[in-house]
Amino acid sequence: MSGILAQFDTLGATKTAIERLRAEGHVDLDVYSPFPAQELEEALGIVSSPVRRWALIGGITGFATAVSLTGLTAIAYPLVTQGKPILSWPAYFVIMFEMTILFTGLFGFLGVLHHARKPGRLSAQYRTNFSVDGYGVYVPAAAGAEQSGVESLVRDAGAVEVEVGV
Amino acid sequence: MATAEIEVPREELPSLADANRDISRPISTPYKRYWLLLGICAALIAAAGVAWTIQIRDGMGRTGINNPVNWGVYIVTFVFWVGIAHSGTLISAVLYLVRSGWRTTINRTAEAMTIFAVMTAGLFPLIHLGRVWYFYYLVPYPSTRLLWPNFRSPLVWDMFAIGTYFTISLVFWYLGLIPDLAVLRDKFTGIKKKLYGAFSLGWTGSVRDWAHYRRLYLYLAGIATPLVLSVHSVVSWDFAMGVVPGWHSTIFAPYFVAGAIFSGIAMVITITIPLRWAFGLEKYITKYHFDNMSKLLLFTSLIVGYAYGMEYFLAWFSADPIEIESFRWRGTGFYAGPFWIMVFCNVVVPMSLWFRRTRNSLKALFVISIFVNIGMWYERFVIIVTSLAHEFDPSAWQVYTPSLTELTIMVGSFAWFFFWFLLFAKTLPVISIAEVKEHLAHEHEHGGH
Repeated sequence: MSGILAQFDTLGATKTAIERLRAEGHVDLDVYSPFPAQELEEALGIVSSPVRRWALIGGITGFATAVSLTGLTAIAYPLVTQGKPILSWPAYFVIMFEMTILFTGLFGFLGVLHHARKPGRLSAQYRTNFSVDGYGVYVPAAAGAEQSGVESLVRDAGAVEVEVGV
Repeated sequence: MATAEIEVPREELPSLADANRDISRPISTPYKRYWLLLGICAALIAAAGVAWTIQIRDGMGRTGINNPVNWGVYIVTFVFWVGIAHSGTLISAVLYLVRSGWRTTINRTAEAMTIFAVMTAGLFPLIHLGRVWYFYYLVPYPSTRLLWPNFRSPLVWDMFAIGTYFTISLVFWYLGLIPDLAVLRDKFTGIKKKLYGAFSLGWTGSVRDWAHYRRLYLYLAGIATPLVLSVHSVVSWDFAMGVVPGWHSTIFAPYFVAGAIFSGIAMVITITIPLRWAFGLEKYITKYHFDNMSKLLLFTSLIVGYAYGMEYFLAWFSADPIEIESFRWRGTGFYAGPFWIMVFCNVVVPMSLWFRRTRNSLKALFVISIFVNIGMWYERFVIIVTSLAHEFDPSAWQVYTPSLTELTIMVGSFAWFFFWFLLFAKTLPVISIAEVKEHLAHEHEHGGH
């Protein structure tokens, strides 16, 4: 991969760099931050995450599983207890509630693993100070005149270190 | 959050690199003191293991449990630990949703406490079962005998509620840990790097990954909030669904939930005060945090006190002689001691928290939190044992006293809980590094808010 990795030491400078790069047409950026920063997500134009669909599908699956588990097993093994009907839905609601929540959480977690491609190897652009206090902006495959343009742009935005050809 | 709230002038605020260093510092070779504490816990766990083995060999006659008091110290301790488990998710989820910034430095510890408390609680139904190898009767699986669990039973609800609570709490905790594990991966070398690296799943802090992370964190907080309210409600229905006088009450669910939060916050205080001192985390866990926790403790104490009063009011108002007798005996009969210990510890002692001086004194707070822990154990004892001992038929009234086997196992459960907690404190960051950094970065760049 030949690209430019610019490192920043403040959130503000990172945000400025992203905005300027995107204005220049570099939309395919990889940005690294030591903590969750909504500002950077907004600068990158990320408004939502597909994880929400995973969570919704998980919740529906969990609810449906609980309905079938409680209903079908009661039909398969019809034993009257506590003088209640075989299909005692109010009593089964507790199970439905719990399984809806259980599956929402587990599916959501699988969604994060899937979309963030985890577990996986560290990318070549990763620098260990991204887990300390550094921010990184990676511009992929910038070449020739474009390369020098990107380099001056990120330096201008306040990059503390720029690596070319990463 | 204003800078004043964390009581550190802006120029003295830790930098992001300081946060990494300070919070991961305790993850190092432990002192002798640590091994000693761990050894004491292991010895007490071993003693409880011996007691349980003897109970399995000889049967439930080793306990004081008999008719009519079929639920004794085991179920009391079970409910106690489930209660302790509540503050973790409350602090992590509810305070996250309402954007209470003060949760940041205590949420990791509280979540760890939740997980270890559920792990402790989960043992007691098994111990209480007597023939522990039959526990799988509760699990819905297609057996060759074509038997299925009875989903109308509160005990089955309980298994689902606690199983879900444990799983979701674990996912919530682990999700929050992933970025911090990446910090440790980058800090260490050798085998430690490999281990932390494996559990950090290759986390790089890419903003796209953070977006997925933040979204799930919000959802988990959203679903954990009703979950935390449901778990102790379901536990309370183990009692309230029965017609036993003293149990059969509609106020049980909110009463138990408030009690659970009350005891859970008390345990967070009991643990964080020595932890903060031992690990030198005064810059991160400040008096501001303890002040807020004390206010929550005071508030839940008022709810619990109100519930105690309401139980008596409802007994009187029902004009049911059996209900009235049950509550008369609770306060004046054989178990009057535990009852008044409960009232003193849970209602009288926390009233001192109205005073700012008490809330600002960590020593006082530590002592109060111990009182609350004791009081909340007694509350469960009072609810469970006095109700069963004094039911409808006077000829069936009988008192129960715990046996040595039960008490050894109960003490062992505390050791088991602290054993896990000690392991956690030395191997994982006790404060969420990523969240502290998020807070500090905004303080540094914008000077607050």
